[in-house]
Amino acid sequence: MRIEFTPDQLALQKELRAYFEELVTPELQAELDAGGEGGGPEFRKAMRRLGADGWIGLSWPKELGGREMTPMEQYIFTEEVMRTGFPYPFLTTEAIGPVLHEYGSDQMREAVVMPILRGEVVIAIGYSEPGAGTDLASLTTRADRDGDEWVINGQKVWTSLADFSDYIWLAARTDPGSKKHRGLSLLLVPNDAPGLTVSPIWTMGVRTNATYYDNVRVPAENLIGGEGNGWALITGQLNRERLSLVNHGSADTLYRRVAKWAADTESPHGGRVIDQPWVQTNLARVKSGLEALKLICWKQAWAMTEGNLQMADASVAKVYGTEFFLEHYRLLGEIVGQAGGTIQRDSPGEILKGRLEFMYRVGSILTFGGGTNEVQRDIISAAGLGMPRSR
Amino acid sequence: MDFSLSDEQIELQNLARQILGDQTTNEHLRDIEAGDERFDEKLWADLAEAGLLGIAIGEEQGGMALGYESLCLLVEEVGRSVAPAPVIPVLVSAGMAIDRFGTDEQKQRLLPGVVSGETMLSAALIEPLNEDPERPLARAKVEGEGVVLDGIKTCVPFANRAERIVMAAQQDGGVGLFLVDPQAEGVALARQNSTAGEPQFEVRLDAAHVASNDILAGPEEGARVLHWISQRTAAANCMMAAGVVDRMTRMTAEYTAEREQFGVKIATFQAVGQRAANCYIDSECLRLLAQQAVSLLNEDRPADDEVTIAKMWVGDVTHRVSHAAQHLHGGIGVDRDYPLFRYCLWAKQLELAMGSTAQLTARLGEGIAREFSANA
Ligand SMILES: Cc1cc2nc3c(=O)[nH]c(=O)nc-3n(C[C@H](O)[C@H](O)[C@H](O)COP(=O)(O)OP(=O)(O)OC[C@H]3O[C@@H](n4cnc5c(N)ncnc54)[C@H](O)[C@@H]3O)c2cc1C
Repeated sequence: MRIEFTPDQLALQKELRAYFEELVTPELQAELDAGGEGGGPEFRKAMRRLGADGWIGLSWPKELGGREMTPMEQYIFTEEVMRTGFPYPFLTTEAIGPVLHEYGSDQMREAVVMPILRGEVVIAIGYSEPGAGTDLASLTTRADRDGDEWVINGQKVWTSLADFSDYIWLAARTDPGSKKHRGLSLLLVPNDAPGLTVSPIWTMGVRTNATYYDNVRVPAENLIGGEGNGWALITGQLNRERLSLVNHGSADTLYRRVAKWAADTESPHGGRVIDQPWVQTNLARVKSGLEALKLICWKQAWAMTEGNLQMADASVAKVYGTEFFLEHYRLLGEIVGQAGGTIQRDSPGEILKGRLEFMYRVGSILTFGGGTNEVQRDIISAAGLGMPRSR
Repeated sequence: MDFSLSDEQIELQNLARQILGDQTTNEHLRDIEAGDERFDEKLWADLAEAGLLGIAIGEEQGGMALGYESLCLLVEEVGRSVAPAPVIPVLVSAGMAIDRFGTDEQKQRLLPGVVSGETMLSAALIEPLNEDPERPLARAKVEGEGVVLDGIKTCVPFANRAERIVMAAQQDGGVGLFLVDPQAEGVALARQNSTAGEPQFEVRLDAAHVASNDILAGPEEGARVLHWISQRTAAANCMMAAGVVDRMTRMTAEYTAEREQFGVKIATFQAVGQRAANCYIDSECLRLLAQQAVSLLNEDRPADDEVTIAKMWVGDVTHRVSHAAQHLHGGIGVDRDYPLFRYCLWAKQLELAMGSTAQLTARLGEGIAREFSANA
């Protein structure tokens, strides 16, 4: 056993850290601080630079212009991206891109896949519907074949990024009589397709969208991966989402920022903020929780690299990570106090650009998104402990 | 022992529920929040009309003199409805303090207007990096009959609308409490966007003059008055939190009883039901602790530990219930078109105001150490 990065991996980490320090210009930082999920001019610029420097397509084979990185290396990349807060479109580059390459036509490779590698294309995920969340397989948006085209009708919710994306990766029912996960297919819908409307949903934290499909027509070749194969592609993609959903990088960075702030800030009644025992206790609890998170993430990346990720372990990472984040924000929020936890970044008296105020507003969505934690716990008790399932 | 409310209190509670309930529909709150300031003038006038703004203000000033405990029933209902009505700063931190410690002139000048809803007040309890309300850093210097104030207060609710802001400052011989006119020379307000949308301000005092008739308490009694105000503000905060988490819990129960996934109501998943039950237990604990603190303060009895413990629970319970409610709702829980998010934001506000759980845990522990060391 040797639970640490190899010299090569450390070198990669160092290279990436220096690279991102340079990539995140003050202008880009300002855009990130505004809490966006990308799409701004500085985001687009940085994406093209990442493309030009060959960082996009980490997991892709070399002959496609990718880097053929192992999951361990991808994890290191992800962690460094997460440290910067840059909303890197992992799903576009790591999940959808390779699928499009594998199944798409030559024309599509030219028109979509290459631009993804160049950092020019962002793709939104159109899975969830008003009636189909955790029970995704009950979705009802339909795509009907009409000559050389698919005609799409239905409604999606929570289509994040669709307000600036170039395409939507849409799950639809292509076999009208089908039930549940059979008869679902994936279609690539250009954002400018007639009949598609995007309207904002403002959440407590970020903007997302409702998307409406009223006789939206796409060419037959935009159905990707074969008719009726949607479910397999969806579940495969959810697995790839893993490394970016629960990651040690951003939580560790936030911890360091708060600890540094507490050490640099004089307490008005003597000493520094960090000299108070309860502040130290909170920081210690955060650090101890982070240590477990780090090891869970490392082990997951290692197991993926070895090709033996256990189902239960993947679910452990999802549940532990997403629930730890909430404790983490709370413990750090107590340290920055009422002003730090409730005054927004653009106001006088804010602390650390209102980061903890903001994180509370976005924190919860991970516990039910990306495979809700109840279902993950069912998986843990069944796959990890061999307990009989109730349903 | 008696956990029950008096008939009079039940009437008050019903009245508050009726007025607040009618005017805090999702649509109405959305309209108010689309405006400049999260404040509902009509609602405030209606509360005044019903006499509710005068619950804890003396009869000579037009109030009902029913005391702090009764006022806290209104506060709880404001929490339950997340109404844009600043009952704690206006009625508890400032109104009750003036009613109790103010001169006759101050009471006559300020309180009838509070009861009628025309006069707003506020209290400035914290300063940048100094969130202990009882140890202000602002300075007061005697000048002639009055004083001159220097310092900064932060997160001051409704400072722009307040006729006077209650605030404390160090002066020779102790802490003094003053009624500061936010429009006076030497006072500068800067708007702060706060998480729950309550209009708050940083208040800068640069040789701000306070006339002698605006001194609420001098250095001999200032610390005691300030403690009185902090405790009542903190306990009111706990009652408001009790209302907030109770409603979040019930909203979650209602939603999950309707929402279907996998062909069944999601409430019937045991994991969902059990987590909602935990919220219920949390809400119940919090309400009991808040009621204990409030009922002691209502009789002017010592309640230092009881207030601290109740506020510690506010932090834990708002955190747990808010995240459980969001989680059990799924995406809709964070959608600003659905009412839950307001409760989640208020929960954060209440969690961190008047001391966080971590900070108060340390304070309580220090007290326990003193207690047992003295007895040893
Ligand atoms: C900000 C945001 C961004 C999003 N971005 C995207 C996106 O880009 N693309 C996309 O397709 N979707 C997106 N989503 C949707 C997200 O994936 C869904 O919210 C998630 O799948 C949960 O579905 P739901 O919201 O309908 O909740 P529901 O499925 O209704 O769940 C509600 C509650 O019921 C519980 N529950 C459900 N089933 C069970 C069960 N079997 N056992 C126990 N408990 C259960 C859940 O755990 C949850 O607590 C986003 C959501 C948000 C809020």
